[in-house]
Amino acid sequence: MRAPTPAPLLEARRIVVRFGGLEAVGGFDMAVARGAIHGLIGPNGAGKTTVLNVLTGFIRPTAGELVFDGEEIGGLGVHGVARRGLARTFQNIRLFGVMTVLESVLVGGHLHFSASAPALLFGTRRSRGAERAMVARAHELLDFVGLGSSFADRVATTLSYGHQRRVEIARALMSAPKMLLLDEPLAGMNAVEKSEIADLVRQVRAQGIAVLLIEHDMQIVRSLCDHLTVLEYGKRLADGLPEAVLADPAVQAAYLGRAR
Amino acid sequence: MDYLGQLLANGLVLGAVYALTAVAFTLVYGVVRLVNFAFGELFMLGAFLTTSLMLPEVRLAGVIVPMPGFPLPVAALGAIVLTALIGVLVDRIAYRPLRNAPRLAPLITSIAVSVVLQSLAQTLWGAEELRFPEFYLATLPPVVLFDSIYLSVMDLVVMASAVIAMAGLSLFIARSSLGRAMRASAEDQTAALLVGIPVNRVVAAAFAIGSGFAALAGLLYAQTYGFAHSSMGFLPGLKALTAAVLGGIGSIPGAALGGLILGLVEALGSGYLPNGTAWKDAISFVLLVGLLYLRPQGLLGKPELNSAGRGSLLGGASEFAGGWLHTLFGRLDGGLARLAAAGPGAALAFLAIAAVLGALMPSDYWLRILTMVVIYGMLASGLNVIVGFAGLLDLGFVAFWAVGSYLTSILFVLVLKDSFGVAPDDIWWLLYLNLPLAGLLAAGFAVLLGTPTLRLRGDYLAIMTLGFGEIIRVVAINWIGLTNGPMGIRDIPAPDLFGIPLGSPRAQFFFALVLAALVVFAIARIVRSYVGRAWVAIREDEEAAEAMGVPTARYKLYAYAASGFVGGFVGVFYAHYQQYISPLNFSLFENILLLMLVVLGGLGTFLGPFIGALIWIVFLQLALDLPFVQAYPETRFALLGVVLIVLMVFRPQGLAASARVSLIMPGSRAKGAA
Repeated sequence: MRAPTPAPLLEARRIVVRFGGLEAVGGFDMAVARGAIHGLIGPNGAGKTTVLNVLTGFIRPTAGELVFDGEEIGGLGVHGVARRGLARTFQNIRLFGVMTVLESVLVGGHLHFSASAPALLFGTRRSRGAERAMVARAHELLDFVGLGSSFADRVATTLSYGHQRRVEIARALMSAPKMLLLDEPLAGMNAVEKSEIADLVRQVRAQGIAVLLIEHDMQIVRSLCDHLTVLEYGKRLADGLPEAVLADPAVQAAYLGRAR
Repeated sequence: MDYLGQLLANGLVLGAVYALTAVAFTLVYGVVRLVNFAFGELFMLGAFLTTSLMLPEVRLAGVIVPMPGFPLPVAALGAIVLTALIGVLVDRIAYRPLRNAPRLAPLITSIAVSVVLQSLAQTLWGAEELRFPEFYLATLPPVVLFDSIYLSVMDLVVMASAVIAMAGLSLFIARSSLGRAMRASAEDQTAALLVGIPVNRVVAAAFAIGSGFAALAGLLYAQTYGFAHSSMGFLPGLKALTAAVLGGIGSIPGAALGGLILGLVEALGSGYLPNGTAWKDAISFVLLVGLLYLRPQGLLGKPELNSAGRGSLLGGASEFAGGWLHTLFGRLDGGLARLAAAGPGAALAFLAIAAVLGALMPSDYWLRILTMVVIYGMLASGLNVIVGFAGLLDLGFVAFWAVGSYLTSILFVLVLKDSFGVAPDDIWWLLYLNLPLAGLLAAGFAVLLGTPTLRLRGDYLAIMTLGFGEIIRVVAINWIGLTNGPMGIRDIPAPDLFGIPLGSPRAQFFFALVLAALVVFAIARIVRSYVGRAWVAIREDEEAAEAMGVPTARYKLYAYAASGFVGGFVGVFYAHYQQYISPLNFSLFENILLLMLVVLGGLGTFLGPFIGALIWIVFLQLALDLPFVQAYPETRFALLGVVLIVLMVFRPQGLAASARVSLIMPGSRAKGAA
């Protein structure tokens, strides 16, 4: 008798995505456990970003089921998925132009505001209180991602690349998600920055937030992830603990090229 | 059958004219992604030039100038070549410097070019119609088809020239090397440049051909209806743009198809619908709105054109750098940015200055001018909510303004005074009730009009809202039972408070100032909250906003509603201030003017719209003192157009490019937070 495994936080079953006649994802399965750092890896063009776009509602899958926290999220659309507690960053950073760092992070907290138009017009105590609380929370998150409040009033898009990444992560965390999806957060960073972001990701997990990480740096993936899923040609090639998966000859072949 | 046949024949003639102009729009859009609003004016120039070349002499700006008196074909050829040259010149001066500019800038210069060309034509040829001279083919007896359908020889010429021109163009694009280069540039300009295609020359060619087509359409139109007039290009230009969008902008067969459909639908509609001739303009726009709703890319267009590039509405810089203009604009920008950053303090200081100015101003004349500044500033603020903050280019905003003005005018004059004999003095309080009521009504309208536009982006959105604005105007003109039609509504009472008349220019100014303070305060309260942050997020990156949990469709509607509310609210006061309104007050030109005020003063700022209104209205007054302008009053608008073109070419990001307002509730950043 085994103890019943707890239901995964996110479960994707037999996801198929076709663009016209092209099958980008063909019958993909994945389960992400609560509070885990789950790596999604695969060679370029394997369909990782497509999968991420399916999970976050940007792409409607042609077929398949998506269950998040016990609820089907397949047809919810982008903001519906965000509302259920799935937050994301983008492969090529997408911060809002002209907004300050603090404002950008506050947009991430959009879900937690509810003041009505009259309440805003008359500046009710409750609407002011909510704003103050969220501003305080945004400052905490800026500290958490290692930026600090001194950056709060800078225009976000004028920051350095590494700092913009951190703003994006803070913005995503501001929605108090159950799961954070990071699309190549380490791209273009040096070794020091990479290990800093890796530490940040561990701290996110320590707060009970699951992380789905798309990443190419195998060293980081190996040290960071609790579980790995490998994608190749839109199909799942391997799934399991990092050591086992990375030792899998099929996975190595996919990365290094197949012997003929 | 004969009636139907005759309508079909008329529709084909009209359709040929629309199709030719639509090709101009589509060709240029295909190559440079620019809706060149000035094609309507090039259409008009084609008509005027042909007419002038056919006459023995013409009075130009009051001076009699001898003309060659060519026969129609020679004159037409001359006019087409001249217009094509003008088109190339316009591209060189007003559009080429803006190839990499933010997307709103070329749209604004194209509108400015229209204004310049139209005012210049009016200065040159006068405000009267110029009769199109007789041509011998036009004196031949009409051809009779099926015993009952009369087609003049010239009608046949119109159709034949359209067919020949289209066929020639298709051949040119398919076979010639320049045509191939055009197709390549349309696909990808950078790639075309990289493989050695002289993109600038290709674009110039597109403008030359497009302008030639517009001129041909214009002269055929003038020939058919027998006159040329400086404003004749406006409606056909809009219709042709509609036709191009109907067919799928960027597609030449689409433009031909769209033009034909529009011509036929208009002819049949005006023939069969009750009072159809009056409503025919609305028919085209209803068709446009319906089609864009169901199939945003048009009949034969590509869907990917319905996507605005990501990035700021006005971000980016000009290709010109350095020079005294640059320094001047830089200084202005810095000042406006500081003003925007100063927040409530600046607004209060501004209000105080305005109040002192209003209290001390000795001249009623200047008080009225200042009142207009405040009114236009308020209206521009309303437009700024949707364009400046939410980033949705709305060319139908005047409709909300019209709703407010008409609501209060109809209630006060047509219902209470004319039908029930109630004296306006006895119900002075109704005005204060109407202000919020009209705001709500207009907000409702705005949501109604906004809903079908939610799927549209960029230029398509602008065109659809433009269609809505025109529909409302046509309704205001033709629903005589409700609006008194083109006669307008007179004797709207001036504001009154507990029996104290507020009709004096000074009282009206302060009334307007109080409303303006309310409007700015309300907008600032909404913008400096999570709602404003959601709007700006949508403006900057709609998909990322959605991923942050912002239901973008709903927030776009909120922006429409807020902007509509302001329009309706201010419209009420506007009617009581002017004491007379007619559909002419709510033209597309007014909408464009408001847009320019916002861009001038700073998109997405609170005081920008008022600064823009101040600059423009004071400029108009000062221009009146120039002797040249006194002789030719229309040149004021030409001057405005030139100023705008210069502004956009040197400063496409707008005067207040670095001005940004805080989007966080004041006082929320108190100690303990940081």
